[in-house]
Amino acid sequence: MPVLPAVLLGRAVRLAARVRGGGASAMPGYLALRVEPRFLEKTISRIPLGVVAVSGSNGKSTTTNMLTAIFREHGLKVFTNPSGANLPQGIASAVLSEVSLNGALDADIAILEIDEAYGVKLSGLLKPRTVLLLNIQIDQLNRFYEPDRVAGMLHTIASSASEAVVLNRDDDYLAALGRELYGGTDASISWFGARPELIAAAPHGIASATRFSAGERSAPPEASVTVTALDGPRADLAIGDDTASVTLPSRGLHYAIDAAAAAETARVVLGDRFRPELVTRALASMKTVYGRGELLKTGDGDDVEIIMMKNPASMQMNLDSLEETPEQVFLAIDEGTPDPSWIYDTDFSVLDHADVVSGSKGWQLAVRLGYSDIPVGTVEPDLRKAVQRFLALPRTKSGRKTMIVNYEQMMLIRRLLGYSDLEGRDGE
Amino acid sequence: MSLKLLQLYPAELGINGDGGNTLVLAKRAEWYGLRAERLAHEVGAELPADVDVVLVGTGPVSAQRAVHADLLRIAGALRDLAAAGVPFLAVSGGMQLLGGSVRLPDGEQLEGAGVLPVTTVLGDKRIVGDIIVESQLGTLVGYENHSDTLELTGGVPLGTVKHGRGNDDTGTAEGVRSGHLFGTHLQGPVLAQNPVLADRILELALRRVGDDLPESIDDALSVNDERAARARRVIREKHRV
Repeated sequence: MPVLPAVLLGRAVRLAARVRGGGASAMPGYLALRVEPRFLEKTISRIPLGVVAVSGSNGKSTTTNMLTAIFREHGLKVFTNPSGANLPQGIASAVLSEVSLNGALDADIAILEIDEAYGVKLSGLLKPRTVLLLNIQIDQLNRFYEPDRVAGMLHTIASSASEAVVLNRDDDYLAALGRELYGGTDASISWFGARPELIAAAPHGIASATRFSAGERSAPPEASVTVTALDGPRADLAIGDDTASVTLPSRGLHYAIDAAAAAETARVVLGDRFRPELVTRALASMKTVYGRGELLKTGDGDDVEIIMMKNPASMQMNLDSLEETPEQVFLAIDEGTPDPSWIYDTDFSVLDHADVVSGSKGWQLAVRLGYSDIPVGTVEPDLRKAVQRFLALPRTKSGRKTMIVNYEQMMLIRRLLGYSDLEGRDGE
Repeated sequence: MSLKLLQLYPAELGINGDGGNTLVLAKRAEWYGLRAERLAHEVGAELPADVDVVLVGTGPVSAQRAVHADLLRIAGALRDLAAAGVPFLAVSGGMQLLGGSVRLPDGEQLEGAGVLPVTTVLGDKRIVGDIIVESQLGTLVGYENHSDTLELTGGVPLGTVKHGRGNDDTGTAEGVRSGHLFGTHLQGPVLAQNPVLADRILELALRRVGDDLPESIDDALSVNDERAARARRVIREKHRV
C-alpha cells in the first residue's frame, strides 16, 4: 500500500489544527498510523544512513538535540522528532511535517528519541543501526514499576541495533547491560563516561538507579569519550587523543555526560568523517530544549527560568546545578505526575522559601516543603491565577524568577506566557 | 527523651520517597517539643537494640532479595522489638517481607521476618493508582503500586477500601493492623498524607515508655496538617469519595 493516503490525511489534519491556532499535536500522526500502520517504516527506513535511536530515563531530548546539531555541523541533513514527541504517533506527526507525497524524507540520517516502553515496539519497526542508551534512573514508577523492568526494555532496544550500541559506563544497569550484550549482538559496543573525580564531586553523583540483582561486578569498561573537566556550563571531552571544549545548555554534570554521549555516538556513526572540533562548534550554537536550562522572556519583567520536575534524578540534578539560592520561586505539579511520593527523596535545601505553589497536587508539594522547614507563601491550585500572582512579584536583583514544575504544567505555563508549544530542534 | 526512629534498609527498600515517613515522624516530634533521632539499619550492620519506632519502605523483588538474608539474620531481634511494644510501620515490599512468607512470581518462596500476621503472593498483574481507605483513624489517602495478594493470618485490616484495590481482588480490605504494628500499601508517603496515622504511631511509641503525646509547640504542625487535609480532599473529590 502506498503511503500517499496516510500523508494526505495527516497533512490535512495538521493544517486544520494549525489554522485553528492549536499547537503541535500527535493527532495527525495518530491518524496517519491508523491509515497506514507501517507509515514509520515506509518513510523513515528509506533514509540512507538509517536511524539512531536515543533512549534512557533522563536526557533524551537534550542529547538528541546535541546529536542533531553535531551531525548538521558535519554537513548531514537530519530528520529528528521534536522534544518529548517520543511515542509512535508523535514521531509520525514529525514525519508528516517533512515528508514528500511519495513518502520520501529529505534527510541523510534520522535521530530519534524514543520512550523506553514504546521503544521496544518502535525499535522493532525502525530497525535502528545505532542505539544510544543514556541511563536508568528511578522514573515514573506508576508507569515503569521498577528499574529492573526498564533495564529489560532497554536491553530489547539495544539488541535491535545492527551496527553500534553506545552506553554510559558509569550507570550501574547499563554497565551490566553491556556485559550481557557482549557476544549476543553483531553490533559494536562502546562507552562514554565521566572522570570518577567529577562524579564524586557532584552533590548527588549521577543519580542512576542502584542495581541490586546479584551478578558479575567488574571494573567499569573503558570509555571512548570521557568528560574530563567541568566548569559551570563548560566542559572538556576527551575523545581519543583529542580534547573538545564544549558549551553546555546549562550548568550540570548531567549535561556534560549527555554531551559525551552525543560525541561518542557521532564518532561511531561517522567514523573517519568525525571531527572533534565540529562538536565544539555545534554545541556552541545550540538552542536549549524546553525546561532544560531555558529562559523565558516576560515582556519587560524578569526572565523566567524553568526547572523541570520530571523524576527524582533530573529534579535533583537541576536543583544541584543552581548557582545560588533562587530569589523568587514558583512550584507546580499536577496529574501528569500521578504519584509525587518521590519528592521526599529530593533534597530541596537549595531553596529557602517558595513564593507560590500551584497545580492540582500543589497541596502535596506544600506539605513536603513544610516538612523541610521551607516557608511557603501562597498555595493557589489554579495555575493561571498562581502564575499571575508570581509574575506580579517585584523585580528580582538577578533579573530571573525560578519556576520548578512538571512537564504538563510547563507546557501550560509556556502558553500562558505567550510561547508556542511547537518544539523544534536547533536549526529549524 | 529522644525518640529513636529506625528505618530498615533505606537504600534497598526506599524506592519511592519512603524516607519521607521517617522524616515526617522526626519533624512532628520536633513540633511537639520532643527530640527524635533518625537511624538506619543497613545490610550487615548490627541492629540497634534501643529503638522506639521501626519503619520499612518498599522496593522491587531484586531489592527484596538483596536484603533477604540480612533480614532473616535480624528477624528474631525485630520480633523481640515488636513483642516489647515498639510500633512498626511497613509499606508494600517491606510489609511483605515482615510477614510470614512471600511467594515470588517464579514460584520461589521467601521466608519472611514473621513480625506481621500476613502472607503474600506476588502476581503478574500490577495494581497502580490512588487508594482511599476508611479506617478507625479516619479516611486515609495514598497511592498503591504493587502486584501482591495479601492474606491476613491474624490482626485486622488497617481499613476498608473506598477507592483502589488494596489486599486482594475483592477490593475490600487494605493493609494490616495488629495492635501497634501497621502494614499498608499506601505510598505518598502515607504519613505525610495522613498525619493522623503519624500521630498514632508517635503516641504508641510514647505510651510504651509511659509518656503521652504533648500539645504541639509549633504552628507549623497545624499549618502542614491543613495542607495535608486539602491534599487529601483533592484526591477524594477526584474519585468522589
